Amino acid sequence: MSEPGVPVLSVKDLEVEFDTFGGVVRAVRGVSYDVHAGETLAVVGESGCGKSVTVQALMGLIPMPPGRVVGGSAKLLGQELIGLDQAQLNAVRGADMGMIFQDPMTSLNPTMRVGDQIAETLVVHRGITRDAALKEAVRLLERTRIPEAAQRAKQFPFEFSGGMLQRVMISMSLACTPKLLIADEPTTALDVTIQDQVLELMREIQREDHMAIVLITHDLGVVARMADRVAVMYAGEVVEYGSVDDIFYRAAHPYTQGLKQAMPDMHQHGKDRLEAIPGSPPDLFAPPPGCAYHPRCPHAMQICKHRDPGQYRVGDAHYASCWRLHEEAPAIAAEDSHAG
Amino acid sequence: MGSYIARRLLSGVITIWFIATATFFGMHAVPGDPLLNDKAVTPEIRANLERAYGLDKPVPQQYLIFLGNMLQGDFGISFTQQNRRVNDIIAEHFPVSATLGVLALLFAAGGGIVFGALTALFRGRLPDYLIMLLVIVAVSVPSFVFAGLGQLAILQLNRLVGFSLLPVAGWGSLSHMLVPSLVLGLGTMAYLTRLMRSSMLEVAETDYIRTARAKGLTPQRIFFRHQLRNAILPVVTVLGPAIAAITTGGFVVELVFAIPGLGRYFVQAVQQLDYTVIMGTTVFYGAFLVLMVIAVDIAYGFIDPRIQVNKSLS
Amino acid sequence: MSSYTPTAADFQPLDAAREGDRIDRPSLSYWQDVWRRLQSNRRALASLYIVVGLLLFTLAGPLVWRVDPALQDLEQVSQPPSLGRTALVVADSAPTTSLTHTAISSAAASRDSAPNKLRLLGTPHSEGVSLAWDPLPGVEAYQLYRHEYPPRDADDLGLPLVKLMPHEVSYRDLLRLETRQYYYSVVGVYDGEEARAYTTLPVQVAQAILFSEAQYRGLLGSDATPESVVGSSIRLESHPLGTDYLGRDMLARLMWGARTSLFIGICAPLIFVSMGLAYGGLAGYSGGRLDDVMMRFADFVIALPFLLFMILFKIAFGLGPGESGIGPMLLALVLLSWPATARLVRGQVLQIREEAYIAAARMMGASAPYLVLRHILPNVMGVLLVSLTFAIPTAIFTEAFLSFIGMGVVPPTPSWGSMCNDGIRTMLSHPHELLFPALFISSTVLAFNLLGDGLRDAMDARMRSGT
Repeated sequence: MSEPGVPVLSVKDLEVEFDTFGGVVRAVRGVSYDVHAGETLAVVGESGCGKSVTVQALMGLIPMPPGRVVGGSAKLLGQELIGLDQAQLNAVRGADMGMIFQDPMTSLNPTMRVGDQIAETLVVHRGITRDAALKEAVRLLERTRIPEAAQRAKQFPFEFSGGMLQRVMISMSLACTPKLLIADEPTTALDVTIQDQVLELMREIQREDHMAIVLITHDLGVVARMADRVAVMYAGEVVEYGSVDDIFYRAAHPYTQGLKQAMPDMHQHGKDRLEAIPGSPPDLFAPPPGCAYHPRCPHAMQICKHRDPGQYRVGDAHYASCWRLHEEAPAIAAEDSHAG
Repeated sequence: MGSYIARRLLSGVITIWFIATATFFGMHAVPGDPLLNDKAVTPEIRANLERAYGLDKPVPQQYLIFLGNMLQGDFGISFTQQNRRVNDIIAEHFPVSATLGVLALLFAAGGGIVFGALTALFRGRLPDYLIMLLVIVAVSVPSFVFAGLGQLAILQLNRLVGFSLLPVAGWGSLSHMLVPSLVLGLGTMAYLTRLMRSSMLEVAETDYIRTARAKGLTPQRIFFRHQLRNAILPVVTVLGPAIAAITTGGFVVELVFAIPGLGRYFVQAVQQLDYTVIMGTTVFYGAFLVLMVIAVDIAYGFIDPRIQVNKSLS
Repeated sequence: MSSYTPTAADFQPLDAAREGDRIDRPSLSYWQDVWRRLQSNRRALASLYIVVGLLLFTLAGPLVWRVDPALQDLEQVSQPPSLGRTALVVADSAPTTSLTHTAISSAAASRDSAPNKLRLLGTPHSEGVSLAWDPLPGVEAYQLYRHEYPPRDADDLGLPLVKLMPHEVSYRDLLRLETRQYYYSVVGVYDGEEARAYTTLPVQVAQAILFSEAQYRGLLGSDATPESVVGSSIRLESHPLGTDYLGRDMLARLMWGARTSLFIGICAPLIFVSMGLAYGGLAGYSGGRLDDVMMRFADFVIALPFLLFMILFKIAFGLGPGESGIGPMLLALVLLSWPATARLVRGQVLQIREEAYIAAARMMGASAPYLVLRHILPNVMGVLLVSLTFAIPTAIFTEAFLSFIGMGVVPPTPSWGSMCNDGIRTMLSHPHELLFPALFISSTVLAFNLLGDGLRDAMDARMRSGT
């Protein structure tokens, strides 16, 4: 699915640390991925694997201190985002990139009318009058299929349901037709039926505006539905990166395989037991040397304990970081996609 | 909203009744003779006095009469000054206390919000440390010490400028009110500053502030339009207790600055065991505070949109 | 791609030394964790030391500094802090060296002249200042003044001491003399009117003590006689923090006052927090109608205006002869303060009751007392301890407030609040009388507040690290 030309977002070797009470947490340890226009990149992983921190760091949303970007770059349409000052960043945020968050109930100002909250973005970035911005806000609400948008714009967030509020959030992030939409677990807090509607809405808008989406989720069902490409993150690193088919049918990293085994599969009638991955994610105060996944990996080898596996190309634009992919490694039994 | 107000008022009335009852039986439990410090020398005069104050009747009847009079807003006649009605005393002295209290409250709320916002804005930097140090001092020093220091400061100021710039005590003009109301509001201001600071910091951590930053709003706009407004709401909810603190704190300030307010009169009445004045002012103050708390809660309903609609739905 | 070239041994399966779920941090109990956290909070730790120091000051202080807090040292009234001062011993009956002038000159003199040679007779000391001056011709009387500052003009001569007949040209001032500088002025009176001219003499008054007084207070050796010691200097009792307006030792009063203030400040919260625990715990645990009724009553008590009812109850409980007023104050404080704790505990209990671990314990057959003692109480303890720490400064303030408006402890009993009340009257001339008790109240309240802050932070589960 990859397109030629400059990617909308290009993250390269990004590293983020936090100073905490107990020491320095290395939350993001060299993450790289690209997203092109009209394409959706899904970033998957367990809680605390650094998937949200990566995008918040490039949007300048992590509190600094205690957080800091230690290295790497993040380019939006070729423009470097890391190291921008407050004013430069504000010119980009909300205009060229929009963001929607996990919990729409808490992500909107409870004491401000939703219309005003949407209009605010327009007033700041386009410099139009408040009245014009309010009219535009109503149009945006209509676009996200909020009934009686004109009345709804005058209401406060608590008068909306969760799904409606997420539509409001989407209207808000789309106000300036950004090139990039970052959606941080946009459906996690919603009912299943509502999730579907919100995802459908995002797809539609993406088709119309041809924007790039970074979708952060831990739900492989959402990934299968939405993503063109997938980055699987574990302990602050991208362990596997490929097209949605690569990930679902040709998973090369044991962690990705484990994730899939933990997911219910409709086509798999014979199996009624889901396999959990044993153990828990590593302590990021002191990540284990070698491969971060080796303590939980069923295929762990001596080398995994001591040395970081490099990245191996598995297929066309499909990469994974696992010693088993090294040319010297014993041959792997071809992965049976139904075993997973 | 209407039924909410009605419900609050009803519970307020019950509370006031409870205060009045507690006051009545509290005062009747006082050992000793209420007429002892009077000149009830002969049994005849004594009987007349007892009749005049209704002390000859059994206690339950006295209680009913007390409640009945109170319903009509009549608190009786002073024990020590037989020609003065308690109502007149309250009417004369309460406006003074109220003026002092309103000034102190304005000062406390304004200062608390401004200083609290400043500390949050300069978190971890010099202004934050400085203001929080002053706050700690202000909550640790008793109000009467501040009152004394306030007087001392006026004296020094007057000596410095060479003439009487501010009066040291008494009441009348705005210049009389300035220092006492500052002193009176100080403790509450410190408390509100602390509250405002933690409220500001709490709001700063919320998701909607993150959203506002993700929208690319300027820090000024986020501070004033999103953070400040939401942070003030919890401060409004404690204005009820703040009014109570300022009202009773007024006793000390009125004593030290010789201000003819109801607080000073109350303390005098207590020292002279003037039963009707004590009962009258206690019930009056109690009712006043109960109504103030209700008023603050209702006002809060108008400020916070979330409450307004929830109430109208119920 | 790693630059390292792996060998075959590297690809051996790793299974013997699996470290799947390894607990690599020592486990701490809740209270150990709280204590560790509190120790790392320097402000809270310093406050803890202050509190311990105060308790020592109160409990052990009077054993070391054995001065009666009610004893009046009239030679040293309102003295600023000092390690000890000396006094001149003077005979009990000072010789009255009075000068008279018999030859009254009838020669009319200028009415504007002031008496000449205003001078001292003997050493001026706190037991008497003797003055003499040359007679003025033609006066009808002399008027003698004493001032604490140099007089500015004839209208500013200070305290009128005495009016003397023309033949009396000396005077012995005995009126409440303090050891300080005075300005004595004398003017002539003609035809019932004082002349504008005056003579002023600055006099530095020395500390003195009567022989009998010194002997009575044990300041002299047993073999001292008036002849041997009069005129010599002896050391007076030392008052490290000075004395109050009645000459009572401030240090002793602060120690004994701390007993009053800390007794009320610590006992009352202990009692009402326990009451609140029992009441709120019962209401929360039983729930239903009993809970409704109990909390309704608590709400009423909370609605009572606190200080007004403190005063009211304080009068209502009355005072027996010889009582200090501590008991009624304690009772009133407890009666009015318990509902806040009760509310807090009830809320906590209601919340804990619904927790899954309670359901789990119940399912495993835990009895009600076991649930309360093993699960509910330990979880309520944290908030309770914090509210106790914050209740102490409030109680100390209340005691001080009541004592300040004269509704607190009864006079001879010292308390920090009543000492402030005494001190504020002499604030302008002797600031130490207000300063010391105020400082003690403030530092105590500050220490308990900071300690409470530290405890709350230490117990806040959200701040627990190690994830």
